[in-house]
Amino acid sequence: MTSSTTDAPRPDVEPAAGATTNGGGPLGVVKRAFGMESASVLVATVALILVIGAIHPDFLDPRQLRDVLQQSVYVAILAAGVAFLLAMREIDLSVGAIFGLTLICSAILMRDGWNPWVAVVAGVVLGALLGLANALIVQVFRIPAIVATLATLSMFRGLSLALSNGQQVVGLPLDHAFFDIFGGRVLGIPVSVLVLVVVAIVLTFVLRTTPFGYRIRSIGSNPDAAAFSGISVARVRIQALMLMGGLAGLAGMLGLAFFGSGDPNIGSGFELLAIAAAVIGGTQLRGGSATVVGAMLGAVLLSVVTSGLVYFNIPVNWSSFATGAVILIAVGIDSLLRRRREARAAAAGL
Amino acid sequence: MFALEAQHVRKTYGGVTALADAGLRVRPGTVHALLGENGAGKSTLVKIITGAVRPDAGVLRLEGSDVSFSDTADAARHGVAVVSQELSLFPDLDVLSNMFPMREPRRGPFVDRRRMAALARPILDQLGLRVSLKDRVGDLSLAQRQLLEVAKALVTDPRVLILDEPTSALDSKTAEVLLDILRVLRDRQVAVVFVSHILEEVMALCDEVTILRDGRTVLDAAPLAGLTIPKIVESMLGERHAELAETRPEATVDLSGTVGAPDGSGVLRVQDVSVEDRLEGVSLTAAPGEVVGMAGVAGAGHQVVLELVAGLRQPSSGQVLLPDGSPAPKGLRAAIARGVALVTGDRRRLGLMLDKPIWDNAGQVRSVALARDGLLVRKGALRRRAGEHAGRVNLRTSSLDKSAGLLSGGNQQKVVLMKWLQTQPSVLLLDDPTRGVDIGAKAEMHGLVRSVAEAGAVVLLCSTDLDELATLCDRVFVLHHGRVCAELAGETLRQHEILAAMNTGSVATA
Repeated sequence: MTSSTTDAPRPDVEPAAGATTNGGGPLGVVKRAFGMESASVLVATVALILVIGAIHPDFLDPRQLRDVLQQSVYVAILAAGVAFLLAMREIDLSVGAIFGLTLICSAILMRDGWNPWVAVVAGVVLGALLGLANALIVQVFRIPAIVATLATLSMFRGLSLALSNGQQVVGLPLDHAFFDIFGGRVLGIPVSVLVLVVVAIVLTFVLRTTPFGYRIRSIGSNPDAAAFSGISVARVRIQALMLMGGLAGLAGMLGLAFFGSGDPNIGSGFELLAIAAAVIGGTQLRGGSATVVGAMLGAVLLSVVTSGLVYFNIPVNWSSFATGAVILIAVGIDSLLRRRREARAAAAGL
Repeated sequence: MFALEAQHVRKTYGGVTALADAGLRVRPGTVHALLGENGAGKSTLVKIITGAVRPDAGVLRLEGSDVSFSDTADAARHGVAVVSQELSLFPDLDVLSNMFPMREPRRGPFVDRRRMAALARPILDQLGLRVSLKDRVGDLSLAQRQLLEVAKALVTDPRVLILDEPTSALDSKTAEVLLDILRVLRDRQVAVVFVSHILEEVMALCDEVTILRDGRTVLDAAPLAGLTIPKIVESMLGERHAELAETRPEATVDLSGTVGAPDGSGVLRVQDVSVEDRLEGVSLTAAPGEVVGMAGVAGAGHQVVLELVAGLRQPSSGQVLLPDGSPAPKGLRAAIARGVALVTGDRRRLGLMLDKPIWDNAGQVRSVALARDGLLVRKGALRRRAGEHAGRVNLRTSSLDKSAGLLSGGNQQKVVLMKWLQTQPSVLLLDDPTRGVDIGAKAEMHGLVRSVAEAGAVVLLCSTDLDELATLCDRVFVLHHGRVCAELAGETLRQHEILAAMNTGSVATA
């Protein structure tokens, strides 16, 4: 490292160097699709299912597993959006409330005679607009998103209660094709789960191959350097919060199709489950990276825990405690493993 | 009798000698200037005196008795206090709490505010700081906070007080306040060490001077009365620097095709630009192929010019024309889209994503921020382009997948340069680009900067490194109090002239 003229460029900096890490073959494809981080949560989920199944074989009944998956869909979609936000060092606490409010609003529109398809599109758009409202509050008042969305969490939830008078919204046209399709199954698989898979593919693609996805991760990695490179942090924040709102709206519509009525309290506490799922899935709170598939698997893991606990005759008043303990164990083990992996990588000079 | 005596201090870091044979002798009741060029060893010497760094050899005496500090707290107990200009106050706490950080007098488990007040009040009065002890520090003016910083140091009743490098030139009012403070300190028989690179202030404030050059004391406790700025400059730079730089860096690599060729003249013009309180009627031009430097003491306004070109600041009068012939836009994003690139010395904070691989960093502006690759960013394409540019700038790394944070300072700065070259810039702005990189990497960086210029870009450089300005630049504009006071080129472009003009506002006729 003494002079620029004596050292020729080393051969290992040539572009070919990259080809090796991309990996080939079907295994490589799977690895890339799931990513390192989500591999561990997948293993944990499968292991947990097998353990519960070994003790209570009923749990391995395909119908039971299908229900577990079905129940995880809403938090899974929210968790995917939260993973995006965490990757840019933002957060949205109002996602459960947006989920509930869009569900209630669409239910009311359907009850009042709107075409269900139009009401559903309106619900998703409403979600995105609520996300925009969050973003504008953050932008105009210059307050952190965690504070802004803590306030809107209450407001959106309150709107759900006010618009529905605190009552279940019933009398929906349940024989309409919307309920048939999105509340039904194809080849035994709930359609909402298929939607989840599509969302996972699309969001992973957005995160890894669009300028928007790169900007999200750049900002999370180093906000100052991102701004200095010409990335508008404000604009990306607006886009991300709108995406989050739209996803919450989409989850709300799937919920409406499944439940066939509007409960104004639905989705309470989903925000914390979604954050937990994203973190369990391997998205780090310090930002800079995210995994959509991991966040969704995290939600499935949580769903397995809640459903599995039922089999163990845990007194109902202890189930919340047990859920928390399992989350702590999962995150703790994951963090320890990750640190070891990073230490090894650093030692190898990578 | 000296309050503080450091003799024959030596310190090497790795193979690099920071201090070869440095000494400092400060009398009580005097203000002593510690001067030296960048890298002369000032900050190392201060760190040794304050216990932050242990010397390899040498003697340290306080009032005649040998001492050796294990850490900064130990030095503080012995009566050595530092006022760093990076203010270290807690803005949300009140004045009184700020004066006793971690050493509040106590009564049992409780903080004894009454005794704190009794200790603090006389010191504040003596410094003429008229604030309530309950005022929130965040609400005080900058000048008041600086005073509080001094008051905080005086609470410990130090025998030696080090005022470390003011970060910006003081305006006349603050300078008066500082004079007052120094008068108080002299009365209290404190030995004050004033570390600065702003010679005008030194001339106004100090009694004696010690000058370091290349880790050695070349002027030891000389009374300021017999000195002038040119003489001080002479001592700081020494004889060998008086000659024209012999080794001008040459373009080392062919970067043709990596810089943009905008329509229009290609010349960057700053025309009679003023910015309130910062710049007054500044005009300069920089043509493609040239490396144009800007020098000045901190706060002289040279960095404001960079901010104007980068769109970070708007002129209150006059105009800045980019090489394409139209005015510089509002906002950094727009400027970047117009071909402006900005490399700062603060690469870890402003230049890089340290946890991301090299290829990701390299594509950050072109493919991510500007989305010039279209709607999709392909990892393969990023890697290929990063590989190409890595070869061109001679980046040394085992893999493009290596995190930027694991590279050496010189290689990190090359990655920053790579990411800007991908945008094919027509203007390259450099702000102290080689801060903290070793000598070899610095020479390489200089070669690259020349190569960028050779390829046809306009290069504008601000630097605190006189050698860099004198050897790398074709012309150097020196700013003084917001005005261009000299344009140096050819024969007159030497470190002496730059330093003298920075400090006096006129070209020395030597």
